[in-house]
Amino acid sequence: MPELPELNPVIHGKLRLALLSLLAGVEEAEFTWLRGMTGSTDGNLGAQLMKLEEAGYVAVEKKFVQRKPQSIYRMTNAGREALQEYVSALKQLLGAAI
Amino acid sequence: MNANAEEMELRERLELMERMISQGRQTTRQWGWTFVLWGVAYFIATAWATWGKSWLAWPVTMTLAAVLTKIIAGRMRRGHPATALGRAIGAVWIAMGSTLMVVLVCLSVAGHYDGNVFVAFVGAMIAAAHGTSAMILRWKAQLWSALVWLAAAIAACFGSDAVVGIAFLGATFLGQIVFGIYVMILESRERNATGAVHA
Repeated sequence: MPELPELNPVIHGKLRLALLSLLAGVEEAEFTWLRGMTGSTDGNLGAQLMKLEEAGYVAVEKKFVQRKPQSIYRMTNAGREALQEYVSALKQLLGAAI
Repeated sequence: MNANAEEMELRERLELMERMISQGRQTTRQWGWTFVLWGVAYFIATAWATWGKSWLAWPVTMTLAAVLTKIIAGRMRRGHPATALGRAIGAVWIAMGSTLMVVLVCLSVAGHYDGNVFVAFVGAMIAAAHGTSAMILRWKAQLWSALVWLAAAIAACFGSDAVVGIAFLGATFLGQIVFGIYVMILESRERNATGAVHA
């Protein structure tokens, strides 16, 4: 029997998976938009984005627009590859479960 | 965790991804208001040109509509992400609008401008923009808007002055204002349908 793949623990977290999926569909997104789309709190969202950033899956650009701080997130190539691998692993696991 | 619960969790993750990717792509910027704004601008320009008998009616109204669109779109853009799809659709409308402006001014300066040429050209250009956007988005409602404008353009090729006027006003009402209000209703429903995701 072939060995089943393991799911990437960084991506498997529900909010982190939602964030990567959202960023996969757009070129870049502001922190406030991600917060609105996920309905998450500032603290939790910031912590999960930090984990994704540490893993190299998202890149952040911080700037000031009209004197207000703005954080813009975009998915990196490593993040895109990791998400694709995660989807493949997920499909393989679900295929094995059926 | 038993096998069933584990499978359910995996399926839940897959559904979450599909939902988020789709929401990220769809809930970009709100554009329904632009169709309504430009539809109202066409009505104002038509009324001004008809009763005011001023050659300034169209250039002034269209320039004001363009400035207003830029200001409102700039304010609405804040906080919304950029998508390749949004950029593609925006490019279609900006290219159409710029071409329309330049050619209409040239026709006017050259003295070849009349009601039939105006409605045939404007109708064909707007139909092409609606049609391209409808094909990119695979959206039947917008294809109907394209057909309405195309019908007005065809009517302008063969019809009398009265027919041309009715065709233009009808296309403006159905293809811009009614369509824009419909888009705004859909956008409002989409905004309300967004759910929360917790870690």
